[in-house]
Amino acid sequence: MTTATLPAPASGRVVPVVSILAMLALWEIAARLWGGAVLLAGPGAIAVHAAENIGLLARATGTTLKSAVLGFFWGNLAAMALAAAVTLAPRSERLVSALALLVFCLPLVATGPILRVLYGPGDGPQVTLAALAVYYTTYVPLVVGLRAVPIAWLDLVRLQGRGAWTQLIRVRAMASLPYLVAGLQIAAPAAILGAMVGEFTGAERGLGVLTIRAMRALDVEATWTIATLAALASMVAYGVFGALGRRLSPDAPALLLAPPVAAARCGPLAVVMGVAAVTLIALAAWQGAMWLFDLSPFFAKRPGDVVAYLLTGPDAAAHRAALFAAYAQTLAYALPGYLAGLALGAGLACALVLAPGLAPATLPPAIALRSVPIVTTAPLIVLALGRGAVGTVVIVAVMIFFPTFVACLQGLRRAPGQITDIFASYAAPRWRLLLSARIPAMWPAFFAAARMGVPAAILAVTTAEWLATGNGIGALMALTASTSDYGMLWSTIVLVGVTATLAHAAVATVERAVLARYAPEQAARG
Amino acid sequence: MPDAADGVGRAVVCAGLSCTFDAGGTPIEALAPTDVTFAAGRTTALVGPSGCGKSTLLRLVAGLETPTTGTIHIGDETPADLARRGALAMAFQDASLLPWRSLRGNVALALTLARRPADPARVGALIARVGLAGFEDRRPAELSGGMRQRAAIARALVSEPELLLLDEPFGAVDELTRRRLNDDLPALWQDRGATVLMVTHSVTEAVTLADRVIVLSPRPGRIVADIDVPLRRPRDVRGDPAFDRIADAVNDALRDTASDVRLAAQ
Repeated sequence: MTTATLPAPASGRVVPVVSILAMLALWEIAARLWGGAVLLAGPGAIAVHAAENIGLLARATGTTLKSAVLGFFWGNLAAMALAAAVTLAPRSERLVSALALLVFCLPLVATGPILRVLYGPGDGPQVTLAALAVYYTTYVPLVVGLRAVPIAWLDLVRLQGRGAWTQLIRVRAMASLPYLVAGLQIAAPAAILGAMVGEFTGAERGLGVLTIRAMRALDVEATWTIATLAALASMVAYGVFGALGRRLSPDAPALLLAPPVAAARCGPLAVVMGVAAVTLIALAAWQGAMWLFDLSPFFAKRPGDVVAYLLTGPDAAAHRAALFAAYAQTLAYALPGYLAGLALGAGLACALVLAPGLAPATLPPAIALRSVPIVTTAPLIVLALGRGAVGTVVIVAVMIFFPTFVACLQGLRRAPGQITDIFASYAAPRWRLLLSARIPAMWPAFFAAARMGVPAAILAVTTAEWLATGNGIGALMALTASTSDYGMLWSTIVLVGVTATLAHAAVATVERAVLARYAPEQAARG
Repeated sequence: MPDAADGVGRAVVCAGLSCTFDAGGTPIEALAPTDVTFAAGRTTALVGPSGCGKSTLLRLVAGLETPTTGTIHIGDETPADLARRGALAMAFQDASLLPWRSLRGNVALALTLARRPADPARVGALIARVGLAGFEDRRPAELSGGMRQRAAIARALVSEPELLLLDEPFGAVDELTRRRLNDDLPALWQDRGATVLMVTHSVTEAVTLADRVIVLSPRPGRIVADIDVPLRRPRDVRGDPAFDRIADAVNDALRDTASDVRLAAQ
């Protein structure tokens, strides 16, 4: 017991290695036992396949990583510019954040084919999707970091009659560096994910293309090898930025604790006005971009085209019926998967606190897997669980589970030491401490994970439907992309984007209500 | 301005100065309308219970808060004018050094912000004068609390301010360190004849450092006592009956503000 809770320095390093080796062994055994039945390839088979196709795999990995790196660069540059703008003009934050979220909520699976038409051949769509996949998760913590500066440091600048620009350059930029690196750490694997989704939706080269090919051919070894490669690349990218962050500041900020943009204490009228303003600006930007680049109305639909397609056009009723039938199917997968992922993540984190002896064995793999964008391994789950509802729900749940689990574990540990000491002084049992002190301390992390899980769940479900299951809105996107039914494709983007934004807002509303009670210092921001 | 003849400081004239904050819809009057002049080249200490508006008064003079009513003039200038000339400096309760800059970098930054040319020799000399020679390349995290406060004083003085504002500059260090800092540092700014305004919780510190002690009442802050400290420097805290008389007078005034609160509560 003592050795488990307080591992000696040496065993602290050995235990993760042992647990990873044990997992590899279990994986290999499972593959040998059931490999034929559930299309599972073990580490041995993967190694053999990788060795035989090393040239092809290396070239594809290089292509994907190049797109990921470019997207990572542009996406984070955009995030920094947005965060700086919002810091210099704080009044714009509500609007900019809402628009940034809306764009982040657009389904990559559907924007991919449209970008493909816009860019033509090349790596443009992959880079753009990688940028779209990363900018929001960097923007949010960076805004918090640029704000979370002691007033006295800012006063120091104001005392010399200097303004917001000097504060940004001299004080805020450096002070927010740990937050930036924490954001970049999340962004690194997300860029790989964005690049691969871009390749799923029509590229010539890259790991995503190989994945599609392998899945079509039911090539189990190839599918597993590519997924393993993508997962390893993601883990390495995540680890590199994690190490960089630890070098910069040993106590990195708990990124997921970044609170939501606080709603002003204002009446419903102001909320309606805000939503109307965001909608108007989004529509104007959409129309304006089409007009500015003079894009062909055949594939670059305007807001008016979508209205005609769904509401006023000749076949509007049929279009609506098809769209909402697919939408209902997708929600039936996404919602259970999302809720199951959240519940399992929080539940397992609590279980681990009650039985800390399990931590050394479960934590390192969980943290490693947390960095893997599950979508890149979605083909495996489809192979293993089939193309039915179970597979899709599991993909969504797994996508949500790991970030929630890691965030909740961090949250549970944030119960202040003096409070846990008080419980200890009464010799209170572990479950009492968990219920009364640790779970309340967990809520901010849990809700931050739940909020960021909304776009993740949408991405997971649409990708699974696109790649494999052949139903739901993801399949509708795939179908309309291949039949050039751009009216329907744009309609799915609008519907999914609006759904994700509203779901995000709903979670944020619950979050504010809970935080107002359990963590007023987080809710009071802004 | 006869009393400023030999120094850089000028008098700070506050007329009808008040400040009301908006705390989520409820106005909180931090400072009741106040007329006060802080004499040129003198050190004035503001003391009073927590929340009495003494820090608000200091921040108003610094130009960090906007007065709700009234004006502040330093000669024919406002605090903002002084700030733009880099003639104003402030030291805070926690040293508020930038953690990613070395001690030297922190002090040098004050020159940059005050639009002065870089002057490594001056930065080095000032660091030495506050007793931190040899620590120039250390980061704030590597310095003790007392050393950080010394660094904050060096940073405040490096731009040769005409008006120096000290917001409990030694409030965050232990009593022993505070006494050493009170012995060592005030000479640095008293020599130059700058006008100094300081906020402190310690009556002993106020009477040791200041030429004049102003006692403020609890919210809304108003001046309830204005006590001259006609003692020669350097002052010895221990066993000087004149020092004790003045300290007693300040303490009596503070006790009166506390009884005001009790009366108001009844």
